[in-house]
Amino acid sequence: MGITRRRFLSYTAGVFAGLRALPLDRTSRRYVLLDLNERGCFRESVSGYESALTSAGARWIRADARWMSPSRCAVLIVPAALGIPPLAVRAIASCLQAGASVILESGAGFAADREFRTHRVVLRDYLQVHIEQPVDLWPDNGSQRIPYVDYTWPRPAKVRDFSRVVPLGRQAGEVIARVDGLPVALKRSSGRGRLIVLGSPLGPALWAGDAEARRWLFDCLRTAGGEGA
Amino acid sequence: MKKAIGDNMIPKEWGFEKGLELVKQAGFDGIELWLGDAAWFQMGTPDSEVRELRRKVENAGLVVSNVSTGLHWASPLSARDPKVRALAVRIVEREIETAVLLGTDAILLVAGLVTPEVPYNEVYQRCLEALRPLGEKAARSGVRIGCENCNAEQRFLISPREFWQFLNDVNSPAVGIHLDVGNIHDTGFAEQWIEIHGPRITRIHVKDVMTKRGRCGDQSVYTNLFLGDNNWPAIRGAMTKVGYDGWLVAEMEARYRYAPDQQFYDTAHAMDRLISGRF
Repeated sequence: MGITRRRFLSYTAGVFAGLRALPLDRTSRRYVLLDLNERGCFRESVSGYESALTSAGARWIRADARWMSPSRCAVLIVPAALGIPPLAVRAIASCLQAGASVILESGAGFAADREFRTHRVVLRDYLQVHIEQPVDLWPDNGSQRIPYVDYTWPRPAKVRDFSRVVPLGRQAGEVIARVDGLPVALKRSSGRGRLIVLGSPLGPALWAGDAEARRWLFDCLRTAGGEGA
Repeated sequence: MKKAIGDNMIPKEWGFEKGLELVKQAGFDGIELWLGDAAWFQMGTPDSEVRELRRKVENAGLVVSNVSTGLHWASPLSARDPKVRALAVRIVEREIETAVLLGTDAILLVAGLVTPEVPYNEVYQRCLEALRPLGEKAARSGVRIGCENCNAEQRFLISPREFWQFLNDVNSPAVGIHLDVGNIHDTGFAEQWIEIHGPRITRIHVKDVMTKRGRCGDQSVYTNLFLGDNNWPAIRGAMTKVGYDGWLVAEMEARYRYAPDQQFYDTAHAMDRLISGRF
C-alpha cells in the first residue's frame, strides 16, 4: 500500500480543517453519487447510477469528496470504487456516522494485482470490509451458463454478472447476494448508518438498462432510508 | 468505381513488394492494408516505416484504398475490461494516424462483439461511448470510420435498420458503415443495406456467400464472386441508385489451394464485370 495510517489520518485531518472554510451544499438533495473520477472507477458505472436516478425522478447530486455534506445525505453511492483516496474514505465514514446509508461498489474485479492490494487494504483498515481475490466467472469461453448475481435483500433479484466479482470474506454483516455460491454483497450497521457493499458492480447493468437492476436499486434506496425513488 | 484487394491476401512468403506487383498486374487500382495482419504493418510499425509502405505502394502504381484491422476480434471496443477497451481505442487511433500517413481517408473496424458473457445492451452502449470521441478525432484527421457489418460473427447490428439507428445514435458524419455484401448471409439482402445506408457507406467489401451452407467446422460459407447466392445485378443496381462510386475491396476468405496468384486475376476480372454491369 502506498500510504501509512499515520499519513492518512494527518492528511485527512488537514484537509478537513481546510474544509470548514468551504461552502456547504445548500440543496436538499438526498442521494449523493460520490465521483472518484477516472482513476477511481468505471465511468459506465457512474453513468448507470446517474441514468437510473434521473429516470426515476430522484433528487440526487454528484459530489466530489471535498464537497460532501454528510448531514444532507440519506444515501451515498460510491460506484465501482477502486482507488479510494483518503478524502473519500473520510466522506464515507462521515456519512455512516451521520446516519446515512452507503452503497459501496467495488470496481476491483479487473484491477491489476497492485491496485487490488491497495484497494483491499483501504477497505480493511478504514472500513473494516474484508474482500477476497477477484474471481473470473467466465473462465471457459464455451460455457453456456449465465452466472446471475442472486440478491436476497431488499428484494429477490437476478442481475447479470459483470464477468469478475470480488467475493467478500467472513465478517460481520448479512450476506445479501451470491453468485455461484460466492458471497458478493452484504449489509451491516455502521455508526448510526448502514453500509452496503457490492462485490459485483451494479452500475454497468443499470447503464445497459437492466430493469431488474433498477428495481433492486430503487428498493434498496427506499429501504436504506432515502425518499421514494 | 475502383477496385482494391487486401494485403492479407498476399501469400505470406511472398513479401510486400512482390505482392504489390501481383496486385498491380492483376488489374487492381489499390490495396487495402490490414493493421496487425502481415509483418510489414503492425501496431508497432513506426511512422517512418508506414511512410515507406506508402512509397512502395505508389511505386507499384497503386494507392491505399483504406486501412482495416482484425485486431478488434481479440480486443473489442465492447470489452468489459477497461484495459482491453483502452487498447481497442488505441488500435482505432493508430488506424486513423496511419490512414493519414498512407494518404487514404477511410478505416475499417469491427465495432463490438456480443458474446454469451457480454450482452447486447452493454455492447451497444460501449460502442457508442467509444465511437463518439473517435468520430471527432477521425473528423479532425479527415478520415471516416467505417464500422463493418460482421452480422453473424459479431451477433451485433444484425439488420440494416439496427445499423442505421446505431449510426444515428453515434451521430457523427465521420462514422459510417464499411459494408460487406458477403456478410449478410440469409438475414437479409445486400442491395437493401446499400439502399438504406447510401451516403454513409465508406467502402464496400465484396465476396460471395453460400447462404444455405452455414458454417461447419472450418468449411467456409464464403466463396468467390458469382459462385454464391448474392444477387449481384441487384447489388450493382443499388450502388447505381445511391450513387456509390467509391472503392470496391475484395475480401476473399477462401484461398486457392494451388496457383494462389490466380485468385487475384480471377477476382479482378469478376470485379470488372461487376463494375461494368456485364452479367
